[in-house]
Amino acid sequence: MDFPTAAPLFIPVILGTPRRGRRSEHVANFVLSRVAALSGVETELFDVRRMALPTNDAGEQIKDATFSAAMMRADALVIVAPEYNHGYPGMLKHVLDSNLKEYIHKAVGIVGVSAGPWGGARVIDNLLPVMRELGLVTIFWDGNFPNVQKIFDKDTGALLEPAHVRRLQKFLNELVWMAKVLRYGRENVAIE
Amino acid sequence: MAKRKKLKCPGCGSEMNFHAEKVDYSQALADPQSMDPEFGGTLEEFHTCPSCKLTVERPATD
Repeated sequence: MDFPTAAPLFIPVILGTPRRGRRSEHVANFVLSRVAALSGVETELFDVRRMALPTNDAGEQIKDATFSAAMMRADALVIVAPEYNHGYPGMLKHVLDSNLKEYIHKAVGIVGVSAGPWGGARVIDNLLPVMRELGLVTIFWDGNFPNVQKIFDKDTGALLEPAHVRRLQKFLNELVWMAKVLRYGRENVAIE
Repeated sequence: MAKRKKLKCPGCGSEMNFHAEKVDYSQALADPQSMDPEFGGTLEEFHTCPSCKLTVERPATD
């Protein structure tokens, strides 16, 4: 069945760390380029470093209007999250927590990044319950970028391991499917 | 169960689709009167407009 999704899907990519020297930026740019190449999909990069939310309050009180509007428009999200001491960056959580209704019944895929061999597997696992509580619907594919310092050129950010192209495509195929199904559901399937 | 009356979209006036409910604990802290004692927080409804894609949140009506 073709869902009546004439309007393009909007799938923004969130770069989840503000740290200096972050290698996740290369991953986020690569993911953004692959999302942008999808037919019928629009995208945009949101960098938590550029949002500069106050840290002495939370939620509705500190919303960034541009980010909230993008989350409202979004059909799905890709979160690029480096693993810091097995957890997620605090600033990523702070930014995500500034919205709620914007996320309800939207798809999310998580791309983990690590300097070690596990590709951010633990940060992905730690983010899953957060996604659920925010009303997002997780896909079952993950993005994993282990040894990130070796798989992108340090200066140009060019991908040095082409296998990631096909792996990410499978992740995106699932995300687009879920985005279409959930858009149909949000707009047409009611709680009785 | 009786069908609910559809919410009108505040953005474009189209009928919205009610597709989710969620308990909001922080809202109940800010506004204790809104707390539903059976859920321990404020029960919120989420409605999405099929035309302009706006989602609105409001306290549950049942």
